[in-house]
Amino acid sequence: MKTFIYNIGYFFKEAIRTIKSNVLSNFISVIGTSLILFLLGMVVTVTYIGNEFVSKLEQEAEINAYYKENLNNEDIIELTEVISNIEGVTDARLVDEEEAKSYMEGMLGEEAKILELFDENPFTAYIEVRINLSTMDNVIPEISRLDDIDYVRDNKGVLSQLNGIIRGIEIFGALIIIAVGITTLIIISHLIRQGIYNNKEQINTLRLLGASEGFIGFPYILVGLLLTLLGGLIGTILLLLLINGSYDLLGNGFLFLPLPDRGLMVRYIIMFIMGISFILGLLGSLFGLSSIGKNN
Amino acid sequence: MITANKLSLRYPDGTLALRDIDLHIDKGEMVFITGPSGSGKTSLLKLLLGMEFPTEGSLTIMGKPMVKGHNKDMRNLRRNIGPVFQEFKLIEGRSSLENVMTGMRFLGSNPKKIKEEAYKALVKVGLEDKIKSKVENLSWGQQQRVAIARAVARKPSIILADEPTGNLDKDNALHILSLLKEFKNNNTTVIITTHATHLIEDVQGVTHLHMDNGSITVERKEIVG
Ligand SMILES: Nc1ncnc2c1ncn2[C@@H]1O[C@H](COP(=O)(O)OP(=O)(O)OP(=O)(O)O)[C@@H](O)[C@H]1O
Ligand SMILES: [Mg+2]
Repeated sequence: MKTFIYNIGYFFKEAIRTIKSNVLSNFISVIGTSLILFLLGMVVTVTYIGNEFVSKLEQEAEINAYYKENLNNEDIIELTEVISNIEGVTDARLVDEEEAKSYMEGMLGEEAKILELFDENPFTAYIEVRINLSTMDNVIPEISRLDDIDYVRDNKGVLSQLNGIIRGIEIFGALIIIAVGITTLIIISHLIRQGIYNNKEQINTLRLLGASEGFIGFPYILVGLLLTLLGGLIGTILLLLLINGSYDLLGNGFLFLPLPDRGLMVRYIIMFIMGISFILGLLGSLFGLSSIGKNN
Repeated sequence: MITANKLSLRYPDGTLALRDIDLHIDKGEMVFITGPSGSGKTSLLKLLLGMEFPTEGSLTIMGKPMVKGHNKDMRNLRRNIGPVFQEFKLIEGRSSLENVMTGMRFLGSNPKKIKEEAYKALVKVGLEDKIKSKVENLSWGQQQRVAIARAVARKPSIILADEPTGNLDKDNALHILSLLKEFKNNNTTVIITTHATHLIEDVQGVTHLHMDNGSITVERKEIVG
């Protein structure tokens, strides 16, 4: 440990020297790693936004339960009570005709004028039920079965479709992560092996002088780390440019849904990519280093 | 300190480089090994540094048998040895100072101390004006002296010097020999191979081994101070 601390400066100098001794191939590797990590970053971003959407929708998953017309006020209040006690229901409340109308007006915006064509309010009252998305499949039939319920309107189709898309993206993302990981590991470990090969005489001399394998190998671990971190940095910068561009283009919303908070997301993505870069750099160098023992 | 019993070394291609060597070297002894080219001098030093292992017989250094696979023991032994290789094995692209320092970095001293000691060693071998020069730009004789500085700066228990005066003029050679002798006086075991028999005739209190065709043919110990 003492030796390690005493020699940190030396290790960095050696690492930089190794990188400089093969600038072109290191440069190409950094560019390659940057692009790969950029790709990874895009997938992570899309998954992040997708998950954000779904969790927003999950929070807002609501269905409208229309009750039979012959109910009086007390029956309706009791019915609302019954529904709100069903497992998986987070909230149930009555929306009367007036509210239903003003809600529609809100949705229509400018076009709300058409509603003035009606003499009477065309909307009926209903019970707005907020539910936990995961319990949707059980809750909806349960509500429909209630005697006082006429019918239930839900947005189940849209939700499950969206959910499917997100799962798909996640699987795709996982595949991309695996591919990125393997590719980066191959690039880095190859580079390290090359560095070791180029320095094999020096390594042999150090061994003859009694240096430990850790002392000999650490500069190469640094090489791997520096290169992947640099690649990660460039990839992140490219990605941030893309994200900023897209946000400026899309404004604040996309498909009626608000985009996630940019600052939070960017911080998450930077940490993710740099973390992955670090891990891949470390593993790649260790794989590359494992060849070090075989040339003595 | 060093004991060999019926030690033989056969290289994989069948060359029998050392045969049936019996040897005992004490702490603080200075040993000159002479002999014609190909007689096995370098091979003997390789065994002492754990670069080769006995194919027959045994070799014990500082109480530890030299057998393949004891990596930790080998490392510890090597840290106590100051080797001067026949082909120097300096690290190219680095200055003389860096080369000498590299030999000391994993011995537990702090970088400041290492730098001081490395500097002193280079001054001792007469290279103070070449401290910052890259080793590949030095003459053979200068490179050889960097190699010697690297070995002695480590303050080893054993110095193994293969032809350390091979590329030096007489004055420099004598200077290096007296420098190595200083170490002997500090209780360091010093083992030197050389062709320069005329240079060592005058050196007092040393052991002289002559090798021929893998065997030690003459062994003369002088127990003079
Ligand atoms: N790695 C090797 N493989 C096969 N044979 C070898 C090897 N190294 C040395 N030899 C042979 O072993 C014998 C002894 O070689 P060694 O290098 O020990 O001689 P030396 O006494 O140091 O010679 P010189 O004075 O020229 O340095 C020689 O015949 C040499 O060719
Ligand atoms: Mg030799």
